[in-house]
Formats: sequence, structure tokens, C-alpha cells
Amino acid sequence: MSDTVNKMRELARDLLAKGEVKYVIGWEKGTLWFQSPPVFITSPDEVDRLVFDDFAINTLVTYLLEERGHEGKVAVFVKGCDSRGLVRLLQDKSVDRDRVYVIGLPCSGKKDPNQAMEMNAGDASQIPLAAKCQECTHPNPVISDVTIGDPVPEKPNQGRFGNVNELEAKTPDEKYEFWAQEYSKCLRCFACRNVCPACNCKECLFDSTRPRVLGKANTLSENQVYHLTRAFHVAGRCVECGECERVCPVGIPIMKINKKVIKDINDLFGPYEAGVDLETAPPLGQYKSEDPEEFM
Amino acid sequence: MKGILRTKIPQALDALSSGAQVLAPMKINGVSRFACWGQQGELVLGASNTLIPPKDAVFGQTEKMYKYQMGQEAVTIEEIPQDGPQLVVFGIRPCDVRSIQALDQVFLTKGFVDQIYKTKRDRSVLVALGCSQPQQTCFCSSMGINPLDADGADVMMWESGDTYSLEARTDKGKDLLAKLEPFLTDVNNSSPPSPKFSLEFSMEGVTEKLQKMFEHSIWDKWYRKCLGCGICTYVCPTCHCFDIQEKNIKDGQGYKFRCWDSCMFPEYSLMAGGHNPRDSKKPRIRNRFLHKLRYFPERYGMLLCTGCGRCLRECPVNMDITRFIREVREVTLDV
Repeated sequence: MSDTVNKMRELARDLLAKGEVKYVIGWEKGTLWFQSPPVFITSPDEVDRLVFDDFAINTLVTYLLEERGHEGKVAVFVKGCDSRGLVRLLQDKSVDRDRVYVIGLPCSGKKDPNQAMEMNAGDASQIPLAAKCQECTHPNPVISDVTIGDPVPEKPNQGRFGNVNELEAKTPDEKYEFWAQEYSKCLRCFACRNVCPACNCKECLFDSTRPRVLGKANTLSENQVYHLTRAFHVAGRCVECGECERVCPVGIPIMKINKKVIKDINDLFGPYEAGVDLETAPPLGQYKSEDPEEFM
Repeated sequence: MKGILRTKIPQALDALSSGAQVLAPMKINGVSRFACWGQQGELVLGASNTLIPPKDAVFGQTEKMYKYQMGQEAVTIEEIPQDGPQLVVFGIRPCDVRSIQALDQVFLTKGFVDQIYKTKRDRSVLVALGCSQPQQTCFCSSMGINPLDADGADVMMWESGDTYSLEARTDKGKDLLAKLEPFLTDVNNSSPPSPKFSLEFSMEGVTEKLQKMFEHSIWDKWYRKCLGCGICTYVCPTCHCFDIQEKNIKDGQGYKFRCWDSCMFPEYSLMAGGHNPRDSKKPRIRNRFLHKLRYFPERYGMLLCTGCGRCLRECPVNMDITRFIREVREVTLDV
């Protein structure tokens, strides 16, 4: 067992034994060797279930939303990407900082479980990094109460918008064709929304029945309404964790449109990365006199 | 025994398509599903079972039911014809054939006949493919299914080397093989070896035990990590809940349609007055598992899980029904 995992378990045991937190959200080993799903540890006797291996890929911070309306403190493990999701939730005032004990874990990237399923290698070293980890710019947590392990060297931020250039090179008709093909695959399972730390509305407008904003028929036009509204709603707030695209069962390149929107925001309002600190407000959530106003 | 060379299958499907709608497992833009033969895509007969289950052949995700025209004094209803050519579902796995048998129970028995379903089902011919290489997520044998032989298939097919041997099981199946005659040769395939499963467990007593576990603490542990998305229900070959809604077009004209619904969504159990009897993840998870393992067996005498493994493969948080079943078996109940 790695030193990091031992320290994670010790800390969790200590926090639970002293009653400092109600529960600890971490990862445990799943059914198959390439699955390390979330686990909620409520008692010191259960801390040995915690792991932090090549497949501890899920963000855990969205579970903090379920604490709305409750009391007491919970502990959560965060990788770099997850910590930016937590900043998102804190900035949106969806999570109370005093009620979260944040345990940071520097992360050099997780392996792609889908590839593991297909390759069936039985050995994580042969599995490539997950797509979302290949473009990681913040491997170290940007917020934490305590950090376990040494910081991981930051990777040069190359190719953040690589996919976007490819998209921008298309003609309008080609873009429409591309997205129509992708959105026609959508099952409307809403996994991309449910896993997203920027999607933290108490009631999502897509769940509204009166009025019904989104028709329930699975048609291209309804799917487009869903995906484009979602992309615009997280504009300037998306922390680029890539969870939406990772959980999509039909492989819609959701990050491609998110990154296009982020690139446009960078072009319009200057360089910006969401969720890297608590102080900088999202460009679309503030007004500056020097904001561009070509349309006025 | 009759058989067909693997290389002849595309031609055979082309020939069948002239008088029927042929659905075959195809990978199109990264998604495997039973798609209309003739579309651009890759035939994935030998691969794992498809991501999207074949239930949409007989129970589409969105199906128009009837048109309406609201007049000054009355509403006129116009039926939407559901008939069409024969529907050949080619290469369906025994787990998925079982799922269609479960749908038959829901839509055709107990005094209720769903005409939309029945019309499609009557038109369907199931050409099943015996499964000799289960995936790591497969557990059909534990759910009482023989992966090599599909009860309910019209034609049974087995892969051996570069041929598929074929055996008609029903009159519909015999007619289909007659149409395929120009492509068939005599083959002497040995019966495929019994597949090995990495996931195996006993279902003995699970339904009976769950009858006493509605208020058990197991649910408190199981609901927490669920994301509340609909992946499990939409990739499930047996989940069959639907919603009925209308699309108003103009001047009082429109149509009613039905579409897949998911018991994982808050809106699913929301009532007109605003009350929601399943208002959180815990009762929703409990309902889904109990529907599969208790309510359906109680009503129809069969499990509503076929062990196809899709939910286990696709769930982003590993809400694993096999692990749940094993935990239920380990529970000791107070007498």
C-alpha cells in the first residue's frame, strides 16, 4: 500500500474518531480492476476501503451539493481538477467553506477506464492517460486544508485550445453538420449535468415541468436546445475538469464546445481560468469599464 | 447443418433488406446499436453486446402515438399507422432476447395489449447469436440465461471459425432461412465451448429476502454515490418506463408521443399537486433495484435483469447490481 494511501486512511480515521467530520468522501476499489468509484466513509472502522490509484478519476466535490440545508462538516479528497470544481462551488455560494475539510492530493493524471475495459490488459501501466488528464494544467490542488504527498511538476500549458482550432477551421455548415451528428447521439441521461460542479442550480431549468423548457422527445432539435443552453450556462464558469465528457456514455465531445466558449471569453476579456482562486470573479459575472462593447 | 460464411453476411443482409427492415449491431460514430442495415457504419457482430440495447427495435425512445385536431366543439383523433415491413433483428444476444421476453410480459399480458408494441413485435424476427466470449461485465448465466441458446429466438446462430451455423426454431425462422438459401452452405461446426464468466453468483432466495428488506439499512449505504443520471435505465435492455406528452404544432393541431423515462429522475414521480413520493435518491435507487429483483418477479415470475452488464460497464460511479445482490445474500435478517 502506498504511503499516500496510508496517510489518507490515517487522516480519515483521525477525523472520524475525533468527530470532526460526519463522513469522508473518497474512492474505493470497484467491481473491476479499472474501477475506483466514490465511497462515503462514515466510521473509523471503514477507512481501509479508501484507495487512490490510477483509476480514482471521479470528482467528488459535486456530492457536497447534497449538504445544502444540512449541518455539520464533511471531509473530501480533491485532486487538482477537483479542487477547481470546489472553488467553483464556493464562489457560487453553493458550498460553505467552513463546512468542508479539504484534503488535497497532487495528481499526475489518471488512466482511461474505457480503454482499460477494451484492452483488458489487467495492468494499468499499459493504459493511456484519460483524455481529460492529458490536457491538465493544474495537477496540484489550488485549495486545501491539508495536502498529502509532494507537489507534482506543472506541465506546460500546451494544446489547451488545440481541439478548438480544428473546430474553428470548419465552415458554418460543417460545424452544424458536426454538432448535429454528435447531438443526435444524445440519450438525454443528463449525466454530464449531474456530474458538473458548475451545474449547481437548486432546480435545473431542464427539470422544470411548468413551464416545460425542454421537450421530452429525443429529437435533434430538443437535444440541441439542451446542449447549447448547457454550454452557455457554464460559460466562464467551466473549470475544465472534463467530467462531463468522461461520463457521457455515447462519447459526445462536450469539452470541445466548452473550450470554444472559454477561448472566446479569453479573447474578449483577457486570459482567464475558472476556479483557480477564490478572489477572481468570472468574466461574465462582473462588469469592468474596459469590457469590450462592439455591439453598443 | 446449414451455415453462412462470415464474408457472405453483408450480401445476405443486403438481400434481406429488399423486403424487410434489417437491424444489425453496428458501430456508427462511435456508438454501437442495432441500426438499419445500409447505413454507413461498421458491422460489429463478433464484438461485445451493443451499448444501446435492441429494445428500441420494438419500443422506440420516442414514438408518435396519434395526431389530434382540436375543433370548436370536438377533438378529432387520427391514428398514426404503425405497420411496416418485417423487422429482422440480426445478431441479437441471448441476454437481449430475454429482455424482449420481459417486454412482452409488460406490453402484451395480464389483460393489457399495447398496440404500438404489438404491431412491431408481430413484425419482428429474432436471429440470435450464441455468445461464447462474455465480457468482464457479463453475468447472464447467474440470471438463469444460457448464453449459447436463446429461448425465444426465431433463428439461432453460432460462430465457428469463419462461418456461422444457423438453425431455425420457429416457422418465421424457417421462412427467413429459406430467403437466405442462396448464401447458405453445409457446415459441420462443432458446438461452441461453454463460456467462462468472471462474475458468477447465486440468485437463490434473493427475491424472497428483498420482500422483507424495504426498510433495511442497506439502502442508506447504497444510494449515496449515485449521480441520479439516467445512464443505467437508458442502456438497460429491460427498463421500459415511458412518459406520454404532446407536441402542439399550430391551430389546435398536434400529436401525442411517448418517450423513454427514467425512474432516476426527480420528475418521474412528481405528481400534479406538487407532491413527490420518491423525493430523493434513496427511494429512487430502492425502487430501481426492487423493480428488477422483486416487483417484476412477483408479478411476472421472471427477473427484470438479464445480466447483460451494460449498467455495470457504463455507470460512472459503479452502482453495481451484482455487488448489491451479493450484499443482500450476506444480510442476516431478524426473524
